[in-house]
This record gives sequence, C-alpha cells and structure tokens, in this order.
Amino acid sequence: MGLKSSFMIATRSLLRRKTKNLSAILAITLGVTLLVGIQITTATLENAFLTSLLQREGEVDLQLTNSTGGYLSSADAETIVALVPEALGIMPELSMQVPMMLGSQFDDSVELAGIFLNYSDAFGSFYDWKTEDKLDLNSLLSSNTSVLLSSSQAEKLGITKEMSLPAMVTTEFTNVTGTVVEPPTLPLSDWTVEPSFTSVEYVLNSSSTNLTLELAQSPFPGFVPSIVALYTMNISKLSLSDFDYINVTATGTSNIQVLLQFSLDDGSNFNITSLEDTSLPVDLDILNEAFDLAPYSNGTLRGDAFLAVMSSDGMPASIEISEIAFETSKPVISYSSEIEKTELQVVGIFNSKRPGIGSMYRGAIIRLEYLQQWISLQDRQKIADRINAYLVALKTDHFISEISEDYLQEQIDLIEAAIPEKIDLNTGETRKIYYVESARLTFFGIAEIIITLLSTMLTALGLLITITGVLLITNVQLMNVEDREFQTGVMRAVGENRRGIALSILIENAFQGIVGGIFGLVGGLAFGQAVAVYLVSLFGTGEFSVQPIVSQQVVVLSVVTGVALGIITGILPALRASRVNIVEALRGIKVTFEEKSGRNLALLGILFIVFSIFVLLINGVIDESYEAIWLTDGWNTLEEWRNILIGAGLLFSGIGLVLSRFISRTKALNFTAITIWAAPVFLFVIAMGEWIPDISGLAPDILMISVAEIMVGSVLFVSVSLPPLMRALRRFLVKIRGLKGVGQIAPALISSHKTRSTLTFAIFAVVLTLNVTVATLVPTNLSSIIETEQDSKGIDLIISLSKPEANITGLSYIEELYKIDNHITDVIGFKTYRSTNPLDLSGYVALEDPRSSNFSAQNDLLPLGYGELTSGQIRGNATNSFDKDWRYDFYLSSFPDGIYQPSADEVTDEQLNEMSKQAWDLFFAPSYRMAAYNVSLPELLSDEREASDFDFSSFSGYDGYELEGVSVLRDENGSIIENPVVFTDSFLLPLGMQVWIPMNTSESGFPVYQAFTIAGRLDSQRAGGFPLSPFNLFGGEESNFIDALGKLYLNEYWANQTNFLAEANGATATARAPNQFNQFLIKTTYFMDDPQIQQIAQAIEDFTNTNDQGYRSLAEDNFYVASTTVLYSMIEQSLEMIQRVVSFLQIYVTFGLTIGAVGMAVISVRNVSERKREIGMMRAIGFPRSQVMLSVLLELVVLGIIGLAIGVANGLLISLGFANMQGATLVIPWNDLGVYLGFITLIAIGAGAIPGWFASRIPPAESLRYVG
Amino acid sequence: MEEKHSIVEDREPILVVSGLHKRYNEGKSNEVHAIRGLDLSVQKGDMMAIMGPSGCGKTTLLNMIGHLDRLSEGKIIIDKIDTGQLSDGQMTAFRRDRIGFIFQLFNLFPFLSAVENVETPLLLKGMKAGVAREQAKMLLRELGMGDRLYHLPLELSGGQQQRVAVARALITEPAIILGDEPTGDLDSTTSADVMNLFRRINKISRQTLVLVTHNRWIAEQCDYIVHMTDGKVSHVEQGPFKGEEDSK
Repeated sequence: MGLKSSFMIATRSLLRRKTKNLSAILAITLGVTLLVGIQITTATLENAFLTSLLQREGEVDLQLTNSTGGYLSSADAETIVALVPEALGIMPELSMQVPMMLGSQFDDSVELAGIFLNYSDAFGSFYDWKTEDKLDLNSLLSSNTSVLLSSSQAEKLGITKEMSLPAMVTTEFTNVTGTVVEPPTLPLSDWTVEPSFTSVEYVLNSSSTNLTLELAQSPFPGFVPSIVALYTMNISKLSLSDFDYINVTATGTSNIQVLLQFSLDDGSNFNITSLEDTSLPVDLDILNEAFDLAPYSNGTLRGDAFLAVMSSDGMPASIEISEIAFETSKPVISYSSEIEKTELQVVGIFNSKRPGIGSMYRGAIIRLEYLQQWISLQDRQKIADRINAYLVALKTDHFISEISEDYLQEQIDLIEAAIPEKIDLNTGETRKIYYVESARLTFFGIAEIIITLLSTMLTALGLLITITGVLLITNVQLMNVEDREFQTGVMRAVGENRRGIALSILIENAFQGIVGGIFGLVGGLAFGQAVAVYLVSLFGTGEFSVQPIVSQQVVVLSVVTGVALGIITGILPALRASRVNIVEALRGIKVTFEEKSGRNLALLGILFIVFSIFVLLINGVIDESYEAIWLTDGWNTLEEWRNILIGAGLLFSGIGLVLSRFISRTKALNFTAITIWAAPVFLFVIAMGEWIPDISGLAPDILMISVAEIMVGSVLFVSVSLPPLMRALRRFLVKIRGLKGVGQIAPALISSHKTRSTLTFAIFAVVLTLNVTVATLVPTNLSSIIETEQDSKGIDLIISLSKPEANITGLSYIEELYKIDNHITDVIGFKTYRSTNPLDLSGYVALEDPRSSNFSAQNDLLPLGYGELTSGQIRGNATNSFDKDWRYDFYLSSFPDGIYQPSADEVTDEQLNEMSKQAWDLFFAPSYRMAAYNVSLPELLSDEREASDFDFSSFSGYDGYELEGVSVLRDENGSIIENPVVFTDSFLLPLGMQVWIPMNTSESGFPVYQAFTIAGRLDSQRAGGFPLSPFNLFGGEESNFIDALGKLYLNEYWANQTNFLAEANGATATARAPNQFNQFLIKTTYFMDDPQIQQIAQAIEDFTNTNDQGYRSLAEDNFYVASTTVLYSMIEQSLEMIQRVVSFLQIYVTFGLTIGAVGMAVISVRNVSERKREIGMMRAIGFPRSQVMLSVLLELVVLGIIGLAIGVANGLLISLGFANMQGATLVIPWNDLGVYLGFITLIAIGAGAIPGWFASRIPPAESLRYVG
Repeated sequence: MEEKHSIVEDREPILVVSGLHKRYNEGKSNEVHAIRGLDLSVQKGDMMAIMGPSGCGKTTLLNMIGHLDRLSEGKIIIDKIDTGQLSDGQMTAFRRDRIGFIFQLFNLFPFLSAVENVETPLLLKGMKAGVAREQAKMLLRELGMGDRLYHLPLELSGGQQQRVAVARALITEPAIILGDEPTGDLDSTTSADVMNLFRRINKISRQTLVLVTHNRWIAEQCDYIVHMTDGKVSHVEQGPFKGEEDSK
C-alpha cells in the first residue's frame, strides 16, 4: 500500500479523532504563538527603539563640522556643497541653550535653534501642533524676537494646544561689551615729602588732577641748586608690556629740573630722563616728551615712585604736573559680560513628535540670522557669520523607508576622502578641515547592540519556554501513537508496510502542523500586539510609538515552524509506531525497556567521551587564552566555564551510556542525571560566589547551557527515579483512610506511563525554573529599608538649583534651607558643573595628552561633568579614617592603590566602609599621587563592539574592581607616571585610567590641561547610588546624554584651579565664589521613608520657585529653580525599573505557565478518555465516583508538584548564582512560591475535574466496552 | 407474568430479579429493548449458567444485576437488599462488598501486579495495607498463583490472568460472583481449568456463581442452565452433573 492509502488513513483518523487532533493542533498552536510572539516583540522593539532614536535626526543623514572644534561660516557652504554631490539638501545648523520662563513656568535649558529659511525641501516642513497645517516660517519668524516653540517644549512649560498665541517668554542672553580702557594715570595726590632729600622751603598742593610745588628761594641763591623730594606708594602695579610710553604733562618756571623714578618689582628702577644721560634730572621740555617704555616691557611696576624737583639756580621755582599717564598705541579694551533678560514672542507651536524636520527641534526655533545676532552678542568680536555644522540629507522620507546603512557609510567614506586638508597651527600636523559624522549611522549601531542584547535575552528565555511547547507537542504526539498501537497492529496485519504507517502519521502531523501554524500565527500576532502595548505602558514616554512589526518572513516562518514542529515531534512516535510488533500490539502489550543497552549505545557513549575530552582540552591546550582545567585558575572565568559545562555534559552523558551496557540502565541514567545537574549547580553556588572574580558579560549562551543542563539533569533524574518515588507515594497513601484505593491506582498509573508523566512534569519544571528565577530578581535586589537607611548615611533629600546660588554677601542658600524646617539637621552644599555649550572645551575630558601628537579631538574627548568634593562635605569635623565622626562617609566601589585587599573573600559592609574612608583620606591628602595604569575605556565605545562585551556589572554596586593584571604606565625615562587623583561616578571610566582635565582657559582659547588618575569610583548602588550622580540611565524624565555619562570629582585644591568650579583665572561666566553651591544634600530627623520628607521637599520648592518671593526675591532673580529628589523615591524608582523589566519577563514565563496548564488539560482529557476501560473496572470492583475522580486529580497534582519541586529547586539555585554575582543575599520569594503551588494545584484540579467528573458518570458497563 | 423459575425451595434466594426491563437509547428512534420483563431467582450456593444466542441480553442482564448499567424498569434484590433503592454511593459500596465480577477480557488493571489487583477491593474497604496484602497473597497461593504474585497482567497467560481476576472477585467474600463469558477468551484446556476452579469455589465455600456463556460445555458444568431468548428467560434446565455431585 502506498501514499494513497497512507493519505486515506491519515484523512480518516483526522476526521474521526477530533479531540485528539484538536489537542495536537492546540499544542502546535501554542508553540508557534510563542515563537511568532517573540519574533514580533523583538522586531517591534527594534523598530520602536530605532524610530525613537532616529526621529531626532529628522531627514538628516550626516553633518559636517569644523574639525578643530570651532565654528564654520557661510563661506564654507560652497566647499561643502561641492563635497557632497549626492546631497538632496544641505542646511546650516546653529543652536544655543537658553533659559526660558513663561509665567512662572521655567526651564533652565531650552535649545534655541536657528533655522535657515531657504532650507531645502528635502528636510521637510514644520507643522502646526494644533491644526496640523504647514507653517509658513517666512511670515512667522519675522522679527528677532519671534520664535516657534516645539510641542515637546510647550508640554514641558505647561502649555496646552488651546493657549492663545503669541505668548511672551523671557529668556537671557549674555552680552559681552568691550570698553576702551582709559590709560592709567599716576595719582597726583598722595605724594609725601621726603625731608632728608629736601633742602629748601616749599609749598605742595596736590589733588587728584593736579600737583603744584613751589620752591622758595634757597639760602644760597645763584650757586647751589635747591631740591624737594617726594615719593608715593600708591601706584598701580602695571605690567609695562601693556604700554608703549609714559606721557608727562608739566609746566613750570624755566629753572626747573625734574627726576621721576619708577621702581620695578625686581628691585631695579628707571628714570624719566633724556636719552643721552639716563641718570640726570631733565628739563621740562624733555619731561614733556613721550618716554619710551620699550626697554622695560618685561617689567612690572612695584607700586612706588620717586619725584625730585630742583631749582637749578636756587632761585624760586615752581612746577605744575597735570598728568603722568601710561599710554599705548593700541587701545586696551576691557570686556564685561552682562546677562540681559530679553522678551521673546512665541508666535506658534510646531509639532515635534511628527516625523520630519520638526522632530529635530525639541526646544524653540528662530530665524538663523537672528540667532547669529544673539550669539554674536556674547562674542568679543561680534562676528555674526557663525554656523555650527552643515546638515546633509541624502534622501527624503526616512520614516517611510530608512536609508541603507551601507550607502550611508559609503558616502561618508567618499566625503571624508575628499575633504581638503590644512596645517594645524597647534601641532604642526596636517588635518582635514571638516569632520564628517552621521548620528544616524551611530544610532544604527547603538540600536543594533541593544537589540542584539535584548533579543538574545528574549530568545534565550523564549527558547527555554518554547522547549515547554515542544515537550507538550511531543507528549501529545506520543499519546496519539500509544493510543493507536492496537490499530497500527491491525493495519500491519492487513498488509500495510512500516513506511506506510510512518507516512500516514507524518501526513496527519503535517496537517496538524499547518493548522497549528496558522492558528499560531494569529495567536502570535495577538501575543506580539499585547506585549507591544504592554511595553508602551511599561517604558513608554509617549514619544515611543509602538506598532507591532510583522515581517513577511514571520508569516512563512510560523507555518513552516508549525509543520516542522508537527513533523519533527511526530518522527519519533511515527518510527515507534512503524516498529510496532504486530502480535504484541494486538494483544495490547506495551513496548517495554530493555534493562541494559546494546553495543551501539555504548559506542555512542565512547564517542561522547572522546568529544568531551576534546572540548575540555580546548581550555589551556587547544586555546591557550584559557587556563587549563587542572589548574585552579582554569575555573575562574565564565569563558572557561562555557567549555567546562559543555565538556561535563558530554562526558557524563558518555559515561552514562557506556555504564548502561554494564550496569542497569536506571543506575547509569541516574549517574548521568546527577552529574549533569551538578556541574552548573557548582557554577552557580560555588564558582560564582567565590572563584570567579569578574562576572561581567555573563553571556546568554553560558546561561542557556547551564540552565539547560540543570533542567535536563533534574528532569532525567526524577524520571528515572519515578518508580521508587511512586512506590513511596503509594506506601504513604494506602495508609490513609479514604485514599487507599486512590493510592493503589494513581502512583502506579504515573510510573506506568513514564514518558508521558515525565513530559508533563518537565513542562512545569522548565516553566517554574524560569518563573522562580524571575520572581527572585526583585526581592533579591531589594535589601531592607533599614540597610538602605544605613547606607544612605542619613541623606534624605537632594536639591539641585538650576544655576549656582546667588553670590550675595549675607545670603546663603544653606542658611535659608535651615530656616524652612527645623527638622533639617544638616545641609551639605556641593558645586557641580556641566558645560551646556558644545563648543566649550571645558566640557570635555581628554583621554590622551592634548599636547601630544597622538591626540585627536574627535576620538579623545569625552563630554563629562565635574564636581568638587571638599573634606568638610565628606569628613565634616573628622580628620581621618580613624575618626568616627564623619559627616557623610559615602561608599566607594573601586579604590585607590593599596586599599583594596584582593585576599578578602567576601568584603563585609564594615570593611567596605573602612576602605572607603581610607580612600577619602587619600583623596583629600594634597600630596597624594597615584600611578596611572594601562587601561582604556570599556569596549562599549570602540568600533568592534559586540553585545557580549557589554559590561552589566559596571552599572551596579560593589564590583570589587581591582587593578590586577594591568601594568603601570611609564614615561620615556622609565619612571612611573603618577598624577593627582580624581574620583568618578561615570560607568565609563575605569580605575587607574589617566585623564586630562581642562582647568581654565588661557588667553589663546586653548585650555590648560592637568593630568589625573582615576583613583576611585563612587558606589552606584548602595542607597540608590551616590546622590549627585546620574542615578539611572532610563530614569530621569529628561536624562541628558552627558548627565548620564557621569562626573569627575576634584578635591578642593584642584577645584580651585579651575574656572568652572572656582575663580582660578579671575571672574568668568562660569567662575564661582567658594560657597556658591548648586546641589545640596539634606539630612533630617525623619526616617528615610517618612512622608514628612516629601513635605519638606515641597516647602523648599515653594520657597525657591515662586516668582518675586522667597529665594527668587532674595536673590532678585526669577530664573532660579530648585528641583528636589527624595532619596527614598529614587530607590523606589530604580526598584520600579527592575520590577518593570521583571514584569516584562513575566509575560513570557506566564505564557509558559499557560502552556503548562493547557498541557495538563490536554493530558488530563486524553488520560481520561483512553482510560475509560480502567475507569469502568474501577467502578466495577467498587471504586466510588469520588475516588475515580480523585485518582484522576491526584495524578495531575502529583505531576504538577514534582514539576514545581524541580522548578523551585533549580530556580533558587540559579537565583543563588545571580545573587552571588551581585554580592546580594538571596531572598526566597515565599509568597510567589505559595502562589505557584496554589496555581499548579488549581490547574491540576481544574484540568482534571471536568473530564474526571464526566468519566465517573459513565455507566461502568459502557466504559468497559471501550477498546481505544 | 410468567411462571417463576424457582429451582430449589429449601434455601433462601440470594438474588431475585423481577419484572426487569432494559431499553437502550430510551425514547429515541434507535431504541433497543434488550430485556423485556425478566424474572429470575438464584439460591445461595447455586452455580448458574445463563445461555442464549448473541444479542439475547445475557450480558445486559449481568451488568444490571451488578449495577454496572442502569435498569429501565423492574426490581433486583440481592441478599435481601433491594438494590434499586440504593444511592450510587451505597450501590458502589454494596458492589464492592457483596458482588464479585469476572470478565471475558479479565479486566485487570494492567499497571498493577497480580497481588495489587487482588488486594485493591480490600483497600477500598479500608483494610490496612499489610493485612490486605497478606490476604491477597494467601488467596492467590490457594489459586495456584503463588509464584506469579508480582507479575503484571500482561506478563501472565490468559488462564493465569483469569485466576487473578477470580481471586479479585473472591477476596471480599461476596454474596454473589457474576461471570461474563469468563472463559470466552481462553482455549478449551484452560477453560476447563478455570471451570474446575469455579466448581471448587462453589462447592468448598458455597459461593454463589452466575455465569453468562454461550458455550454449552461450560454451561453444563453448572447446577442450572437458564436459557434466554429476546430478553426473556425461555426455560431453565438442571445441569447434568447436579445430581451427581450432590450425591457425592
């Protein structure tokens, strides 16, 4: 019989066995739903993520900027147009950050962008927020105060669509005015007579404008000259390089001679003399000539001058000096910057959430020319022709179809090659005049990393859950075949061959696969949609438009997967069916296991062992970058463990297979099961806690392998041990009155259908392992509040001012805070700084010596913020680490040289605190220097990044990081490079790295750099992390990229050398007085979760943020905004984030539970229907209905609980690994475990009750007739 | 309606069936009237065969006596108890304690060993597991199955399986044992073997047995042979060996 008969039989059985087919289809549907759902979720996430990243780029593909960091001008346009021949549009870009106030709503940093009105259509148009009409920029942006607000900014300022326009907003522009400095004149008052050099009577009259001296006649007129000597100590200490000559204006009698002498600060002096003789007094004529200062241009006046007036003939004489002036041929200009409040008119609001040009601008826009004017105000030269960058569009409608990454890269390469070069005046090297970059390309890269990371995690999780689906399908298929052994026997008896039998089953399965695949697609779509919607509710910011993305492949994939699942899971049963022994099948004899294995299996085992030895030898022998397995070092990295785990799995399976030839299969399998299970357990429980110091980059594949081995091992063990386990259960149950009969039947049924039972509890084991693992994530991360209170060092509240507090004598923000609430016990003020001007070099830390030729402005500058930490802030009155009385002994997670003791296995909190205090002592010691080490930024920023390089551990908590295995940097003379130290809260900068901080800006505009060594990292996890650091990458509403990168902290000495935290080089726009703080940590008498703290926070905000009242009135400035963060809410927030992630994961594991539940229902229905006969017998020999039902339920409950037990045990072991990894204590989620127990029992009862009830109702005579 | 087939009057009847009707698919178009007003009475210690052509209602009658199936009309009194009045629970307990079943296909639990199959009814009665196990073993040994105690049914021959089934029926010392073609699946030698067993039980422990068969030879081993046609008792004859054995 051939295909036709197979087909016929398949059709028949499909039609006749409706319930059974349905259950198979249901199983496949669930499996496919899961696969499709994961696929759609990942695709959707990727799209949503990429869209949200790229939206800000509008239609811009790349931009060209000045390669040296300065501005470009309109003159560059021509060159750039020629450089990018394929451009559809090129537009200039310029923007600045300004504060904006509307009514009492204030935003301290709004991006004001200049729009070139004749920009190319390729960039798109602006659309009105309310009407969605295209906006006519030409007519709207008519004056230099007309701005259009973005809808995002409008929302931030509390503007609704209904607000009437135009509206006034106040902003500030800095106006730098230069005034020509009048050359200084020597004061003519304040001259003192030196009596010892005075020989004659005199009359001295001096005022600020005039000095007259009359000499009386000498006692010996005619022969001896008379003299009056004067001196002054009140000359300004002028630097003579600024002046060209001295002008003296004097009149007097003709017999007057004068000697005017100035002292220099090096002790020398010079006289205003004739050119011939430099030491003699001069006549008035010569005095009145300009005196050339060129020979003294290196000197600086000491502050004193000497004037001797002589009458050459001793006759009466007089002199009147009206001016002694220092002059220069070039005018000296003094600049002063003044912040001017300016009213702007909001003439319209454009939609910035609409893809296109509007989305590029999240602040406000103004006509480019006007912005150039406003910016030129703060320029000394008042140059208006300035442009930040030229933006280039290579295609339009990016939101409909994205530009090809390859094409973009190709264009960038072409342009880069064509950019003209020039010689850099600083380094003497040639460099390209423009720098071309593409944020779009960067975002593609970032999205790829994150999506790879996310989809690896989702796929890993999804795969594990899909295993449950496969288990379910296999189970159902196996039941189908078992069910039909009799029928198959008949078929074979009437002449169907083995192939035919297998074929008919495969046809049947393929049909089920197709139907299941189609249903699965529908289910997957719904699942994907639901997950996407849920994602929005979890992470959505409103700008995150999440549309489920269904690629065409998914449709094909789902049906193909369905068929594949149907057929693959059907192959084993089909083969089994085709091998059926006709006679046994007809007699109903079940195929039983042989006790021992044959030779083939043993050979397979030997093969496994050989291969396992190969895998184990990779470590240290084949690949020498790993340590060998027989060395202790060979067990201390996760990479090594990957091979150890694979090797162990193969080895123990092999040994088991070989053993099964010689000892009973049960024992051999038990050996394999226990050893396979033990290997990853060892990793989780022991290795992760103690041996593996660096757990960064726990790759999903290692996790998958270990989870898979744990599961297989435990399931196999329980499966093999099912008979003794069930015998024990029976012995227990038959002792209980009322359960004796059930006890006789249910356990025996379970162990008699070993495969089916195993598959059933395996489903739950897998799902619950994941569930328990996920459930422990939150409680393990949440340490007790008391512990957090302790870690927070009493800090309850954090206040940030929008700009440093006002520098007014007698006004201190800290003092004002104490007045607000008498529960405030301590306020610690801090200075932090972040440059808002992208062109300001002080906003960047150099990662390479800026004076060296290796330095590249593109690659070696990292935007970071700065902060000052003083001993008083941290140590208070304590002088060193031994002093108990610290004000704020915050924890560090990495330490300067010599403090971290790597020998310590587990560092206790006290030790950590002690080490931190010692680190602080070093930080504040003025002379402390630390060697620089050969470390670089994490791979995250490099080009060859991969998801597995991503270091999660650096985001959180104590990482015990130490400088082991990295070398100290040496200079060319071979001596160790040592620098002053800085601490950081940035996750990017590794301990021991050398960085250069721009301390202040010299006249040339190039910063003065100082090298530092990163000597410590502030703990980012304890009590929510260092409160001044960016607490959470996802957290803050407007988390700024630079804020997220973190800060460098300088001690008081070094902070004072800067222009942005102090006044190292005199007053600049960013300079600060010693106590001009902008961030404040507040301690109160309340416990950290006390709601009263929120009240205090509110009071502080009210005090600071009300126009013309409170602090704004005291400082006479309405542009102050205080934002308060209650520390506890911060901790809650980060926990919430974990909870969100967990609840997202829980969607998946819950779906796994659903599969488990459905699996149980299917198995229960099938169990009951195929056991009708047994049920009839039970009833016939006197089983009451209740016990019939009870035995059905008990079977399911027992299987569920076995699954639960395995799942809980494995889940807790895996969680223990995670907890070890984070150095946290594993918190067992008893509540969740209770819920799972309840859930499983409920499912078992629910799944068993209905079929059980029906079965117990069938008259026994009828059920006895059932033959399957 | 018809004469009563009371055979021996000096003993009390252990089973009285009167006016029994059974209709399958009652009220539907495919209604089958399987038993049409049947009366029967069995005395304690009797061994009775019910014979008749296929479809005459033999098995249906037996199932109804054991309440494996619901009766449509009539009365069944076993051991002076009107079983029709019993609730399902009571009937189940009654069946457990007072009725033993033996089936053509043995109907042993395939997943329980011989001894476990036999002890199950005792466990259902609430007997201590150890005691039940001992009793079951004892009985199986008595029935010559001492060396097959822990075998699964599929590992036993047909005759051996039937012995286990007999043991299971006997273990509760029921008032009556109902056998539905107990030898129908066995070859003639084994059948004879099993019939000898039945006779032994009947004679030694005065166990009442009602066997359904269409095998004349089997029927002739019994005390009485009840002939059925069309759902009624057509006539009753005495077994050929009745007198013979009584006289022994």
